[in-house]
Amino acid sequence: MRGASLVRALHDLLGPAKVLGTHDELLIYEYDGAVDTATPDAVALPETTADVSALARFCHEHAVPIVPRGAGTGLSGGAIPVEGGVVVSFARMARILEIDPENLRAVVQPGVVNLHLSTATAPYGLHFVPDPSSQKACTLGGNVAENSGGPHTLAYGVTTNHVTGLEIVLSDGSVVRLGGKAIEDEGYDLVGTFVGSEGTLGIVTEITVKLTPLPEEKRTLMAAFATMDAASETVSSIIAAGIVPSAIEMMDQLATEAVEAAVHAGYPLDAGGILLVEVDGARDGLDEQLARIERICRSHQATTIRLATTAIERERLWAGRKGAFAAMGRLSPDYYVQDGVIPRTRLPDILRLVKAAGERHGLRVANVFHAGDGNLHPLLLFDARKGPEGLERAKEAGLEILTACIEAGGSLTGEHGVGMEKNCYMPLQFTSADLAAMRRVKDAFDPAGLANPGKIFPTPSRCREFALGARS
Amino acid sequence: MSAVVVRVQPADAAECARLLAEASRDRHAVRIAGGMTKGYLGDARECDLELRTTSISGIIDHVPADLTVTVAAGTRVADLVSSLARFGQFLPLDPPHADGATVGGVIAANANGFWRSRYGGVRDLLIGTRMALTDGTVVRAGGRVVKNVAGYDLDKLFVGSLGTLGVIVEATLKVLPSPAATDGVVARFADAPRAFAAAAALVRAASRPAALVVTRGERGGWRLVIAARGDAHSVRRAISDAERESLARGGEIAPLTNELTELRELPARAVDGALVRVALPLAAQSAFAETGSRVGTFAALVADAASGIHRIHLIGDDDAVATDAEALVLAARVVEGNGRVERRAEQLRARLGAWPARPSGEALMRRLKSAFDPAGILEPGRSAVA
Repeated sequence: MRGASLVRALHDLLGPAKVLGTHDELLIYEYDGAVDTATPDAVALPETTADVSALARFCHEHAVPIVPRGAGTGLSGGAIPVEGGVVVSFARMARILEIDPENLRAVVQPGVVNLHLSTATAPYGLHFVPDPSSQKACTLGGNVAENSGGPHTLAYGVTTNHVTGLEIVLSDGSVVRLGGKAIEDEGYDLVGTFVGSEGTLGIVTEITVKLTPLPEEKRTLMAAFATMDAASETVSSIIAAGIVPSAIEMMDQLATEAVEAAVHAGYPLDAGGILLVEVDGARDGLDEQLARIERICRSHQATTIRLATTAIERERLWAGRKGAFAAMGRLSPDYYVQDGVIPRTRLPDILRLVKAAGERHGLRVANVFHAGDGNLHPLLLFDARKGPEGLERAKEAGLEILTACIEAGGSLTGEHGVGMEKNCYMPLQFTSADLAAMRRVKDAFDPAGLANPGKIFPTPSRCREFALGARS
Repeated sequence: MSAVVVRVQPADAAECARLLAEASRDRHAVRIAGGMTKGYLGDARECDLELRTTSISGIIDHVPADLTVTVAAGTRVADLVSSLARFGQFLPLDPPHADGATVGGVIAANANGFWRSRYGGVRDLLIGTRMALTDGTVVRAGGRVVKNVAGYDLDKLFVGSLGTLGVIVEATLKVLPSPAATDGVVARFADAPRAFAAAAALVRAASRPAALVVTRGERGGWRLVIAARGDAHSVRRAISDAERESLARGGEIAPLTNELTELRELPARAVDGALVRVALPLAAQSAFAETGSRVGTFAALVADAASGIHRIHLIGDDDAVATDAEALVLAARVVEGNGRVERRAEQLRARLGAWPARPSGEALMRRLKSAFDPAGILEPGRSAVA
């Protein structure tokens, strides 16, 4: 069932107030934070788990794809209904159900905005650690689906390390509770299996997360270097010295130019590479750690070093980093961001390769990324007004970069997800046997194949032209 | 323990996968063993084949500046630890059976120690796995990078799967620089609420202790063992926080000797009676520990108070032990926790199962089990699912 008849059937099922189905209403659900688009047949706005369950059961009976959507900030097309069907918005399931400081847990609905949870728990001296750059908008349901990271995951881990319980609705409508407030449950770790499954195993309707005590103090340092090589070697030296900062972020000159034009974070415009390093925890020893980091930066010929001594200065330094993607508009009307990961010791080689890939395709490339994790975010700049070939060239350069990341022992994606952006590339990283093992998991959760189809796994229709032999 | 007909020791992952495929074809039940330290887990039934992983061993790749190590699964944890130490690094995992356990066994059994709250557990430290499956393939999940969301997280599916889905043949783990300083204290308290209250305060402390263990033996008395690891400044701070929070609750402070090792090895020592292991919400710990220490067959309690993992050793009349063990697992469920009978004496096996309570999501687990092991040959009875 599709189109207008599906919309009418959903009106009967959920009531018209919970369904969007006109052309204008559907338009804004065509896209997310990535570059691909597709129009849903209908959008559902459930208010309860029972609504989601009824909707899934209906979709199961009528073989309609079901695609969950949080804030639509995803960067791999995860929320795009590539095979049509119903997009499920969690805009009305956005309540913090419980803050439980005694157990260091919170129970939330999937539509809660990431930053709102940490704001709500701050009075208890607690926060939710994963802090993607989109944290002012992105939802916790989306974070669970994508296993989102953020700058502070170097020391504290990503979303999956901070989720202990889930309520999920399977594509046949059954409601399953997994885990809870205890740190683990008996049997298989289905919570860990589900987090990061990008909506392809089912839909999350309730999340139990860990809350972490706020650090007593933080120290943030900005160091500028003449070259990206010097900056990346500094990263390796910091880690090799036995220091594990809570964040190490890197930015190149082009990214710095955009950021300074947009937010005036105070980064030197003449630097080839900039590092933002943060250490946190108990105040004892923090200054000594920072002094060691500063010495390492100087030994790699840092041209400028600035310490944020107040919260305002620290916020200003971070505003530059967190606003970097948004600032790209200053440089180019469009950009395509990649998300490859490499072992961090390979940073200098890969950054040279990123530059070369951009030059080969006649594209400017800005780099702003999580250097401590080896998680690259090259932003390939193009102008879509000049025709479709800009995006095509950006995607080609992006693929070259990802291929190099995988050859260096890394991954296609560190935090943005596979979605419909990289599903055709999966055979670069995984053998057909690896993918078959993942397929067994998919089939166990979603035998009908209706949960966010067309994502993660290569599809014959869309990946035909991507003629890649599977790894052997 | 059940009888075993044939023992095999594959030389590599490919041979391991071939043996599994043959066993699957011939419907031969397979037991998987590494260091042979945790054969007591679950309700394992008779097997036709015992597959030992100990020849699939050795460090495959260690790039110190990447803070990762890739190791063949049959490698003993103790060997990995001493190898890392030569590079000034350590495996931030302190599982029981420290002498004999293999890396693969620790992952399959989700065998955590007391450092979990500070450094993460097996599921948090494991970033890549290769496993041999019953269809004869060797597959890879995750990778050698610390951040990776490409495809499903099969690493986590295999953590704690007790060999019921496949054989782990290789693992990549996060490692850390060895701390410059370590120290610890022991505080003795009048009752459980005070001991757990001190622990709760320290779980929230910025100084982040490496271990917070509440323990009680038969002779009574509640002790909180606190360990600190880090640079000299933060260790000093952690110890002073520990002393302050303990003194504030009437604790008597003594220096830490070698107690943590002994406490960690409770599963190895608990050969008689039954050992109940539960995972609890943090705030439920004090009441549970008190209840546990009042049952008639109580012998010892060891609780990772930072993570809510409690082990209670019960000794005495078989019927009484079985009744108390089941009651404690069910009591954990009542407070939104969960648990199992981790170990029990041979003669108790007939009357005391390993899982007095079923896991939530069991139907999904069974579907996963049959997807990975359609012939049902892997470790029959070993896990709550199989």
